[in-house]
Amino acid sequence: MLDEADVTATLTAALTTGGDWAEIYAEQRDSTAIRIEDHRVEELTSGRDIGAGVRVVRGPQSAYAYTNVLSRDSLVAAAKAAAAGIAGAQHASVADLTRESPPTRHPIRLAPDDVDKATKVALTRRAEEAAWAQGAEVRQVLAAYADVAQRVFLANSNGHLSDTTRVRSRLVAQVVAARDGLVQTGFEGPGASRGFELFGEVTPESVGEKAAQQALRLLDSVPSPAGEMTVVLNAGGGGVLFHEACGHGLEADAIAKDTTVYAGRRGEQVGSELFTGVDDATLPNGWGSFDVDDEGASAQRTVLFDHGVLAGEMSDRISAYKLGLTASSGNGRRQSYASVPQPRMTNSLVLPGESGPAAVIADVAHGLYAEGLGGGEVNPATGDFVFGITEAYLISNGELTQRIRGANLIGNGPRAISLVDAVGTDFALKQGMCGKGGQWVPVAFGTPTLRIARLTIGGTG
Amino acid sequence: MGELLDLATSALVGAQGGEAVEAYAVHGVATSVAVYGGEVETLTSAETRGVGVRVVVDRRLGFASSSDVTPPGLERALAQARSNAAFGTPDVGNVLPEPAPWEPMPAILVPGLESVPAARKVELALELERATLAADPRVRAVQRATYGDGISRAAVASTTGVSAEYARSDVYAYVSALARAGEETQTGFGLTTGRSVAELDIAAAAAEGAARAARLLGARKPATTTVPVVFDPLVTAQFLGVLASMFSAEAVQKGRSLFAGRLGDQVADAGLSIVDDGRLLDGPAAAPVDDEGVPTRRTVLVEDGVLRRFLHDTETAARDGDGTTSTGNASRAGHTSTPGVGPSNLFLDGTAVPVADILAAADGGLYVQDVSGLHSGVNPVSGEFSVGVTGLWVRGGELAEPVREATVSSTIVEMLRAVAMLGEDRRFFPVGGSLAGATLLLGFMTVGGT
Repeated sequence: MLDEADVTATLTAALTTGGDWAEIYAEQRDSTAIRIEDHRVEELTSGRDIGAGVRVVRGPQSAYAYTNVLSRDSLVAAAKAAAAGIAGAQHASVADLTRESPPTRHPIRLAPDDVDKATKVALTRRAEEAAWAQGAEVRQVLAAYADVAQRVFLANSNGHLSDTTRVRSRLVAQVVAARDGLVQTGFEGPGASRGFELFGEVTPESVGEKAAQQALRLLDSVPSPAGEMTVVLNAGGGGVLFHEACGHGLEADAIAKDTTVYAGRRGEQVGSELFTGVDDATLPNGWGSFDVDDEGASAQRTVLFDHGVLAGEMSDRISAYKLGLTASSGNGRRQSYASVPQPRMTNSLVLPGESGPAAVIADVAHGLYAEGLGGGEVNPATGDFVFGITEAYLISNGELTQRIRGANLIGNGPRAISLVDAVGTDFALKQGMCGKGGQWVPVAFGTPTLRIARLTIGGTG
Repeated sequence: MGELLDLATSALVGAQGGEAVEAYAVHGVATSVAVYGGEVETLTSAETRGVGVRVVVDRRLGFASSSDVTPPGLERALAQARSNAAFGTPDVGNVLPEPAPWEPMPAILVPGLESVPAARKVELALELERATLAADPRVRAVQRATYGDGISRAAVASTTGVSAEYARSDVYAYVSALARAGEETQTGFGLTTGRSVAELDIAAAAAEGAARAARLLGARKPATTTVPVVFDPLVTAQFLGVLASMFSAEAVQKGRSLFAGRLGDQVADAGLSIVDDGRLLDGPAAAPVDDEGVPTRRTVLVEDGVLRRFLHDTETAARDGDGTTSTGNASRAGHTSTPGVGPSNLFLDGTAVPVADILAAADGGLYVQDVSGLHSGVNPVSGEFSVGVTGLWVRGGELAEPVREATVSSTIVEMLRAVAMLGEDRRFFPVGGSLAGATLLLGFMTVGGT
């Protein structure tokens, strides 16, 4: 994407004011977005965004400059602008660049660029129509398709050079259903690091139907009771909880600033012995996967909890430096060339266990079965969390009974994972966008069926 | 004609018969510096440019954007927008604006920012941090002190004849102070803005951040009571931000505004008006034209308490029909997005009085310094809200003991009708728009506590 001589000239200019190391991140992002709402194609947009950022780092300090003109003059000007933010005498130089070509773990069979727009619009229509077809109580349907091909070129003064392309596709349906003044919504949004072949396996009809059926099921629900009870999270459903209540607290910038409940607890038995959780950027074709992170480190799988023992954290280069580590864990991610990297999650996975999913429910006398969690809030310093539950059932003597809505899950991250007393053999993934410091990146969550011996349910009924 | 307008015009070259084409081009340079503990934490220097192209054919709309502004990049964007239009749903709102005369506003660009060295910007951020720490002994740390600036240029050209360009400079510095006493920590926000470095008042921003943090130390949860309530300017601006979306004709047309169908109704106290004015020089969003090249203007939304108008762009005006015209409120998040309706500089208008008069009139009342949960806490259709508040009691015309964990619940219309006095301390905050705050006395409201 960039000429090697331009890269060397840029990095050399970047190091003149005392930076320990410098880096260029250049990106070309081609995207398509389609939104159908209220039966109309409300949006069909295409975009090509190109830009490059130069970062100069000295110890824990960084200076960054970006441009969307990729000429040598502009890149060197950006390098000088960044260098102006660092004060010192030159002491580092640019190593010979070595092109690294990691094997791709996320093959693309049908590039979005090779599929015409009519086909993409038709796909989105199929999801929309399938949702409307679920019944007269469906009042509003939004179906949206998005694809992106993101080419990332990275080079740094340590000699790294890589040029990789990430392709992602997603189809989302959001449905509003109403009956007698009660309004409920349903959502389904599968996505992957894949091309258009994704929709050969995940049909658009299934996306529309699932979103509509969820909204319709919620019309039959009653307000949730409140109190402490056993909670079973279905496969995939517990992922948001693991991501928010454990994952963010294990990002190395929070650990370095000592603002997380997990700081300084490496090696301790924090979770139950049944609980093993990882962050895995190597998950084949995962929504949060990549081959090389946004600072040139190869994708990795990092064990965070090994049978409950706190085993690792997720770092980028600067937070790794602050923690005295020799290398990052490959979790340096950024939204685009206009942002500096931060330590971020990729695919947060809880690994399957040994209990049949039915057996996990069978010996619950009184509890709650959650099919999906909504938004939540976590206090990183204490680990306390509150999550909305989008869809749930009461469990009575091992059977799912009344469908409920409006429940909140209230608890504490470390305590909740210490109370995991059954882990299913099943496994499911969900996809979302994670925001931190104003930057949004794609992340996936994957879990088996998980049972937590007791959690507080905040309800309205 | 400037360079950027040339670029936008050149993007129209491939336009074909039967289609209307518009190019919106932007160019921006920006710097921000964040310091912590006397050292630079991050310094960011940015230069961005890009073009967004709209094509309308048979009332179908297509859009494409590109940050590659070379001739092939522009051709590619036009071809993409054209092919996207083929799949659009025909709609009466899909129409480009006709040209209208517009008057330049040279005063919004203060020259000289280009030549301010980075070291001076770093020094301003460090000075803000030092001054905040020095302003009050109870301020033990500064979460982060930030300096930022930018010069932004925008140009719009279309085959319907629109041709406009402007440039604007913006400079700001803000700080979040941390005051501590024992285990208790309180935060306070201080801000200064201008169009040049010389217009910044670093000492005032430091004093503001420090005072706001320190005066909350020792805050207690109050007993539930009904008292006069005073809004701090920042709180007023935040509420105005919630109101802004309700004045959008787009929200009205989609049934998402509580003001839908209420033109002519008394929605606020008879002494209060609400005005949007894109030509107001001291408003951060000041610009001669909006983001589709329509001249900006002063639009009185609420006049002496009566709802008179909504904010329109060309699309919502066409959809309303009956001679409705754009109010010059097309707004884009950047070159990568199509226009939507958004406020320019939004403010409360009416007879303004000294803040001291308001505090004197609010004896025994609650001065609200911060609100939490505003955006998730307001129902846009019913206007009901419940927010957490932090503030101070008002005693004998002065701010007295601090209060925390209180709640205020009301509705937007009840609140607007309760406005009793408007302070003369009007000041714009660039918080999610360009919204003016002013000290505001509301009548008696219930403050929830223990």
